[in-house]
Amino acid sequence: MTNENKIGTQSGNAAASLRFTGKAGEYFSIWIVNVCLSILTLGIYSAWAKVRHKKYFYGNTLLNDTAFEYLGDPKAILKGRLIVLGVLATVSFLTNHFNLHLLGILYLFALPYVIIKAARFNATNSAYRNVRFKFGIGFRPQTGLSRRYIEGYNQTSQFLILPVVLVPITLGLLYPYYVFRKRQFILEHSAFGSTPFSFDARPGAFYLAYFKAFLLFLVFLVGSVITLGIGALPFYILFAAYRDAAVGQLHWKHTCLGALRFDCSWKTRDLFKLHLLNSLAIILTLGLMVPWAAIRTARYQLQGLSLRPASGIDGFVATELEQVSATGDEAGELLGFDFGL
Amino acid sequence: MTTVDARFYDGKSTQQRKVTIYSESPHHLRVVGEGVDFSCALSEVRPSSRVGNTPRHLYFADGSQCETEDNDAVDEILSGAHTATFDRLLHRWESRLGYVLIALVITAASLWAGVTYGIPALAKQVAFGLPAATDRIIGQDALEGLDQAFLEPTRLPPKRQTELKALFSHMVTDIPGATDYRIELRSSKMIGANALALPSGIVVVTDALVELASNDDELIAVLAHEIGHLRQRHSLRQMLQNSAMVLVFVAVTGDISSVMSLGAALPAMLVQFKYSRDFEKEADDFAFDYLKRHDIPAGSLTAILVRIDKKTGASGNSLDFLSTHPATQERVDRSRGQ
Repeated sequence: MTNENKIGTQSGNAAASLRFTGKAGEYFSIWIVNVCLSILTLGIYSAWAKVRHKKYFYGNTLLNDTAFEYLGDPKAILKGRLIVLGVLATVSFLTNHFNLHLLGILYLFALPYVIIKAARFNATNSAYRNVRFKFGIGFRPQTGLSRRYIEGYNQTSQFLILPVVLVPITLGLLYPYYVFRKRQFILEHSAFGSTPFSFDARPGAFYLAYFKAFLLFLVFLVGSVITLGIGALPFYILFAAYRDAAVGQLHWKHTCLGALRFDCSWKTRDLFKLHLLNSLAIILTLGLMVPWAAIRTARYQLQGLSLRPASGIDGFVATELEQVSATGDEAGELLGFDFGL
Repeated sequence: MTTVDARFYDGKSTQQRKVTIYSESPHHLRVVGEGVDFSCALSEVRPSSRVGNTPRHLYFADGSQCETEDNDAVDEILSGAHTATFDRLLHRWESRLGYVLIALVITAASLWAGVTYGIPALAKQVAFGLPAATDRIIGQDALEGLDQAFLEPTRLPPKRQTELKALFSHMVTDIPGATDYRIELRSSKMIGANALALPSGIVVVTDALVELASNDDELIAVLAHEIGHLRQRHSLRQMLQNSAMVLVFVAVTGDISSVMSLGAALPAMLVQFKYSRDFEKEADDFAFDYLKRHDIPAGSLTAILVRIDKKTGASGNSLDFLSTHPATQERVDRSRGQ
């Protein structure tokens, strides 16, 4: 298969667009069987469900007519979930019965570890053309015991001090900087095969985007009150659509993989229509249209992403493989951390 | 003979090579194409599981792989190999409309049963298994918070205040477990004629409600209703039920974005309305039972409810579906059945 000249007319600098080929009907079947088995097994199957869901979405995400591949092992994910549940149960038991307030300590000390592991698990289990993604490059080498596990721990905890301490102290004024820094941190330590990612946005652009989003949030608050709550949904979606489009464009337009640069064409108006219709459909069908909404969203988001120049996609080289357990991945999910790499 | 058109990746780079795969012998596959030619024992090939019509991968022992969209042909050439039965069954389930409908029915039925019976029953078990102190922790500082937000000191004459306190103390003496409950009188423009039960064992009654009651029986009925909320530990149970609902909600809608989950939250909210209406019914039953034991007409509760309705201008029937309280007409009917 030739990669050049597929899309665009200038062969030297053509862009390769991402494409999503998932179908709502097909995904509905997978989704409902996932939900059904998860309920019947009291949640144990949800690890398998997650893998099937991810395999479906990755397998339908095409770059230059080749699909991505998700390789996560459901057993590893189940093990991860059980460990996280065990730790959380122990901590809440200790908190309730001995009045020890461990949650804050747990947050500060375990979270960097969890984030590193989650990012690693996700990256290592994502592949394209049999070459895997990688997280953890460029971490300063550590010395001492269990060196392998704490690699990057210091850097990650420094980066976490920001949201835990400084964002509340500054009444949220540092939040845009934190979003910028999070993206930068993840990308600076990520690679596809042996080709590193890079991120060249400036924090100022994030401040501008979040300032406008904040104004739209005020519109949402005022609009909800004036319309006695009826306008809350459309106004909220307008705010979220603007934020997602603006921040998404900042994220992707400044992301490079080696010499390739991403481009992103998400529009507030499109995202508004997409999310509004999705929400209405989900409400009116009491959730039955969730798969349809998920497929439509993925299709729009991926179609809006492209890589340039397209000719660079053939030459990536892999690095050696390493095993990563799923604990971090699951904790990352449970604690609401989503790293959309 | 079945052949599969596939793409070969050596695992060292993203370079793509077109190949053809076929069964060389019952136990061997052969992969032939641009610069690739090898054969491999079927037992050493690991296929990826079939998910919808996404491309299939065959992993070889040396880390290389083949990728193809021709899922049916892959299943055919692998039919002699030891493939995962579980994966095959799953795919079959997902690809037959009838089976999918069965999954839908099972899911809908278990969600309905779980939400209607399972969660409330479980929450009740857990709540009554927890020490009474749990409610106090939930209700800690609740009165202080309400005082700051919208309650003002009572303007009732001191004599009336004393009477009401005596009335309440008398009531709780013969309700087991309620002896340390206390009444607090407040006035409030915002909530009008109203009574609130705080989990710390406090019943708040507004001046407007006291003035609206045409006799003490009606006040006793309302107080019994509020004590019913406390005795049945509704605040704690509501907390437990709502957290369980969130878990169910996340499990079902886990794979959609946060924007859309706002829309998906509506069914969850409807269920929470149903839960609070069920609690109101339980508290009504507690009150009716108390009134019956003390030879007070059951109509006392409904009489004052009707009057509150008139005062606030709420209609008894509309919005029943969205209301946290059962429609007054429904409660009047229930009182007749007592």
